[in-house]
Amino acid sequence: MSGLDILARRPAPAAPREYHFPRFERARLANGLTVITAHLPGRPLLAAQLVLEGGAGHEPADLAGVTALLARALPEGTAQRDAIAFVEATERLGAELHAEAGWETVAVTLEVPRRHFGPALALLAELALQPSFPAHEVERLRDERLNDLLQSTAEPRRRVERAFADTIYAPGVPYGRLLGGDEASVPRLDRVAIAARHAALLDPSAATLIVAGDLEGLPVVSLVAENLGSWPAGDGPAVAPGTPLPDDAGSPRLVLVDRPGSPQSELRIGHVGLKRRIPDFHAVAVMSVILGGLFNSRLQRLLREERGYTYGIGAGFDFRRSAGPFAVRTAVQTEVTAPAIADILGELRRIREAPIEAQELRDARDFLVGVFPLRFEAAAQVVGAITGLVVHGLPDDELDRYRQVVAALTEEEVHAAALAHVHPDAFSIVMVGDAERVVPGLETTGLGPLEIVREAVPTAVAEA
Amino acid sequence: MPGSDPDIPTIRFSERRLANGLRVIVAPDHLAPVVAINLWYDVGSKHERPGKTGFAHLFEHFMFQGSGHVAKTEHMAIVQGSGGVCNATTYFDRTNYFETLPSNQLEVGLWLEADRMATLLDALSQENLDNQREVVKNEKRQTYDNRPYGSFYERLMAAVFPPEHPYQHTPIGSMADLDAASPDDVRQFFRDWYAPNNCVVSIVGDVDEEEAFAAAERWFGPIPANPAIAPFTAPALPARIGREVRETVPDAVPLVRIHFAFRTPPFGAAAFDALEVAAQILAGGKGSRLHRTLVRDRRIAQDVALFTLPLVSGSSICAGWATVRPEADPAEVEAGFLAELDRVAAEPVSDDELARARALIEAGELAGLGRVEEVADRLSQYATLFDRPELINEQLPRYLAVDAEAIRAVVADVFRPDNRAVITFVPQAAGAGAAA
Repeated sequence: MSGLDILARRPAPAAPREYHFPRFERARLANGLTVITAHLPGRPLLAAQLVLEGGAGHEPADLAGVTALLARALPEGTAQRDAIAFVEATERLGAELHAEAGWETVAVTLEVPRRHFGPALALLAELALQPSFPAHEVERLRDERLNDLLQSTAEPRRRVERAFADTIYAPGVPYGRLLGGDEASVPRLDRVAIAARHAALLDPSAATLIVAGDLEGLPVVSLVAENLGSWPAGDGPAVAPGTPLPDDAGSPRLVLVDRPGSPQSELRIGHVGLKRRIPDFHAVAVMSVILGGLFNSRLQRLLREERGYTYGIGAGFDFRRSAGPFAVRTAVQTEVTAPAIADILGELRRIREAPIEAQELRDARDFLVGVFPLRFEAAAQVVGAITGLVVHGLPDDELDRYRQVVAALTEEEVHAAALAHVHPDAFSIVMVGDAERVVPGLETTGLGPLEIVREAVPTAVAEA
Repeated sequence: MPGSDPDIPTIRFSERRLANGLRVIVAPDHLAPVVAINLWYDVGSKHERPGKTGFAHLFEHFMFQGSGHVAKTEHMAIVQGSGGVCNATTYFDRTNYFETLPSNQLEVGLWLEADRMATLLDALSQENLDNQREVVKNEKRQTYDNRPYGSFYERLMAAVFPPEHPYQHTPIGSMADLDAASPDDVRQFFRDWYAPNNCVVSIVGDVDEEEAFAAAERWFGPIPANPAIAPFTAPALPARIGREVRETVPDAVPLVRIHFAFRTPPFGAAAFDALEVAAQILAGGKGSRLHRTLVRDRRIAQDVALFTLPLVSGSSICAGWATVRPEADPAEVEAGFLAELDRVAAEPVSDDELARARALIEAGELAGLGRVEEVADRLSQYATLFDRPELINEQLPRYLAVDAEAIRAVVADVFRPDNRAVITFVPQAAGAGAAA
């Protein structure tokens, strides 16, 4: 067994190999469409994303969900073929092609083997520019969304996320709504509303197409010009790129959505957080990792590894164009709901009140610096990162600078980020759990008045 | 294969067996400065004894609780502080442990794995056991008990496999068995199964082949083998269940969902490959038959699914579901789902359907083989389950060789009334609480 003595010494790392975020190039078509290409040798599964300015945050409140429904309806028929013919054409190329609405933009996303890139790009253009929105397909998608909302009432995670966003934002703030629309707004949506929304998004001068993968021998820009060059320039986008959304906060509240019989309480604790374009973005990222972004974060060590209250706990900021949520997220065994909340609040105070330790700073920094190349193995991941630059109007060297900026952060800068952006007075606590078993513990915590929401879970079954 | 994608990479790898029986596979890939390390131990929930369900998975948690030279929670801290990510999963046939690191941290990763393979029990304590038991029970609550339809997986396995069969219970196990686990149980589990001769290590990424083999020898070479580990044999089982199993489950759900399951040939059999292609044609996307018929055309289902589980010991399982729209009749949805399965048995799938399924499978292969973590996991998988890591380059040609007749034959053989379980979740009466 003496050979095992070698295990007593942890090996030192070898010299790191250099890494740079992939280089990318910009071009602009005559109609104003920006084209960004990143050549990634050895990545034959290509990714492309068309980013259109104007997401769900910019839609009228009474038509909430229209942008999300529009995105889902784009592949459901075009001027040239019906929905089934379109999906079959996509599948013959081994392509994955769909559209998705975000708060600030709509993205049409393609993944396809490089040998089929040309015809797949033609399908992407057809979907984006010539959708026909057949009424019967739109109605089906609308009904599916309503059924999905019904299903969500049975899922504690979706219920708590909905209640949390609604709680932390002031009434009327788009981020406080459901991106896909709710039971009141979705029934109002039809092909006319969708077509109007589509027209408002279609301005090539406010759109960007990003393509990444092994582009060797592929004339990407001329292929794009061939397929999207005839897209007529508009009168300027309905919403100017970068237009901020309102992000006013609501008042702090303690909310329990009753779900009788739940073996766990789903917990969300937080407040309105930050927009992406802030000077201390990297310090906030490191602070979040220390607090709740690592398996070995402060919250995870206490609530999972010490207490055994939960399978997992995380915390972080959702950076958007305007201030997205800051949230601690976990599910804890029903019986320990109150002590778990106390522990979480304790860690939220400690990240402000106690200094950052040298070792935890080193671990968090080295983690973010080290995993950076792991985040960009696939072309789709590179496209996603470049999309972030486009959406937030960040400089082209932002990602390549990331590692050196993170590596240079100090304990003081990270602590300052906690003091500036974690606000104990502003926390709302939102739960979905069994009121009968949770309320007695909560009443002894002095957390303030408890609002209990009792919704009948709809059981709209036409079985009888 | 004519027409297949010339860009599909061939994974070039070498393998060696150390004197203690550890199988080491190395596949250099220098595209990015990262390395994936992946270990498969040939032990999963199928090796558990009655009354000890969930132990393979509970044990997996202990592998992160420290070892001879690594303190509690330090394993994760070292991986993350080295700029890497790591995790582990427990399944019916195996338990895997994996980390992806910057390639200059290869030795740190191997050291961590070797230390816990050699000296795990040095760190075992009642306190750690109590803590991780609570964590695992919360994992069960979060993953199954507090989810709508959350018990379907346990119910399907129990319906398709007979009592006491190794696949009859799922890896998460039972709360009662977890409560009864003692430190001695954990010690015994380690001594029974965790040894270099019951493990495969795959190293994929930005490494020099010889240096990687030398590092594996350096860290794992001194760990003694356990000659007492016997190969697993599953009890003999008929190819079919022999009857239709039906169950109705009231649950806190707004919509009826009908779950289906069938006993199938095992993963590794040619018929299983054909069944996977059939599942792609039946439910693999918006162009698939079940989606088209039930969701798009007839509009009686909210969503549909059909998939196989890759189990190797004797038999496996193909499962699916249809969620019933509020206004639709569940009986009609069930009949419609089964009619689509029957239709594949009765008439061959079209050339175009087969071509589309193949194109999607090929694109999926391009995605999978483009990630070092996935390549390492598959090499470990094929070496552990079939003693043939070269299957990593053979599996795609096998899928592409599946023809309409092979699909018709397996579908006719598997999707039969005397070989199916139908478990219907229905909204429980208003006022009744959620299942605890």
